[in-house]
Amino acid sequence: MSTDEVIKVIEKFEHSNFSTSFWMGFKATFFRNIKIIWQYKFALLLGFVNTFAVASLFFYIGNLVPGQTITQDGYIVSSVTYIFAGSMLVDISTRILRKSMNSFTSEMKQGTFETLATQPFGLKKYFVSEITFEVLYSLVFSVIYYIPVLLIFPIFKGGLNLNFVSVLSFLLVIVCVIFFFFSLSLLAANVTILIKRGREISMIIIGVMHLLSGSLFPLSLFPEWLRIIAYISPMTLAVQSFRLCLFGQGTLLNGIVWGSVVMLILMSIIMLILFNLTYKKIYSKIRYKGTMHEY
Amino acid sequence: MALSYKSSYLMTFFLNLITIVMYFFFGKMNPDMTVFGIQSTYLEFCFLGLSLQMIIGTSLATVCGSIYNEIVSGTWSYLLFQFNFIEYSIGSTLAGVVLSSLSVFAALFLAYLFMGSFYVISIQEVMLVIVLFLLILIAHMSISMIFASFTIYYQKNSGLVPLLYQLTRTFTGIVFPLSLLKGFPMIVSRALPLTYGLEALHSVILTDETNWQLILTNSMILLISSIVIGIFAIFLASKSIAHSKKHNKVDWY
Repeated sequence: MSTDEVIKVIEKFEHSNFSTSFWMGFKATFFRNIKIIWQYKFALLLGFVNTFAVASLFFYIGNLVPGQTITQDGYIVSSVTYIFAGSMLVDISTRILRKSMNSFTSEMKQGTFETLATQPFGLKKYFVSEITFEVLYSLVFSVIYYIPVLLIFPIFKGGLNLNFVSVLSFLLVIVCVIFFFFSLSLLAANVTILIKRGREISMIIIGVMHLLSGSLFPLSLFPEWLRIIAYISPMTLAVQSFRLCLFGQGTLLNGIVWGSVVMLILMSIIMLILFNLTYKKIYSKIRYKGTMHEY
Repeated sequence: MALSYKSSYLMTFFLNLITIVMYFFFGKMNPDMTVFGIQSTYLEFCFLGLSLQMIIGTSLATVCGSIYNEIVSGTWSYLLFQFNFIEYSIGSTLAGVVLSSLSVFAALFLAYLFMGSFYVISIQEVMLVIVLFLLILIAHMSISMIFASFTIYYQKNSGLVPLLYQLTRTFTGIVFPLSLLKGFPMIVSRALPLTYGLEALHSVILTDETNWQLILTNSMILLISSIVIGIFAIFLASKSIAHSKKHNKVDWY
């Protein structure tokens, strides 16, 4: 079967009269994934301990900074709060990517990806619904996991400096970060089905973003050339504006905040376009080469 | 087009180096380690733990992860005919650890490149480091064998390995001194084998006068706990294998 024929088969599925609507497909994916998660309910409990361990690491590292204060973008904040805020944003957002990649990796490993990809639902809808589920799941559980952690470590007590506009700007930054990670996960999942090794790919992306974002230290510690590279990563500006909104009453009028919003949206759109352009080709290629089940 | 396992290994290796570089830049904030009774710079302190991190991860995850993969791939029953559990555990751990040990050398190279100096240690101290390294490995392999027995019994990945790895990364004094810990976190720290291994390694490499009593005590703790955990793991694994054979679900998951 040639690549063109494979594409015709996919199109037939997507435009068939029996094709399911996105909502129906999303519901099916949602219930299927909830059932799988419920089988691993013990892992949900472990998530609390894991988040506690991650947060403790940020907390203790913050205590090592001389003078225990950090000055950046016109505000002064405790080093513990500074590191905790930045690392928490990176941790929560990268969980989205990790969960999404792990989900596709395990479908391929267990040989269920082919069945899911050829449902009368459309490959694109399957990708979107799967990633949407993982984004929602990771977000909801990250928030649930961080609530007791923030009660144990009252990090933000006394450190926050907010007003109404900065809260709105903060929420906008958060939404843009989520949108960015949704798009990144979509594209990364697409690449995963081609080159496999989703776990490693996500870990590399997360590691590089973590380093470049300045979650543990101010970016002024980087040499000039590395600082320029750091700003190519949208997470760098996102972390900076996240902290600015929380500790320095940063609003959309501030260059860092609107810059991060524009950059996150722009990068998200680029990634969505790339996904749209490549998903059929990649799927056809792995079908044609017969590497659908290869892992 | 699919990435090989070699590329996968290189990616993990690269990730470990990224972590080291991250703490290198954090160290530029000059945390004062003498406050915590450590006579070295922050970089010298954390390079040791960070370079060990990948090996610890490998020795923790190998046995449990490999068996899970064998079950999912349907090759576990065949392997049971060829090897016994202990042979399989030691073989797979050694294979993983040999490769990940390269990260230690890479970390030392980075230390040389960035700090401009090597850890200066005598031959006697090198021998001590090797002994401690082996004890740390065996302790983590024994723990992985316990988790593997759960995997064999339930045919599921319990998620305990990533959790223990995260606890180890946080509470064993890899990137901050243990003296910062108080109360419950201190108890958690003392329940993890790497705490004892790293404490002894810091004493051997970072101090001028070797604290023999600390090294001997910590080595004995590692040795005894490895033996106890190892025996318990073998017992659990044999029960789990017998259970899965009895219920005819060796390759079922």
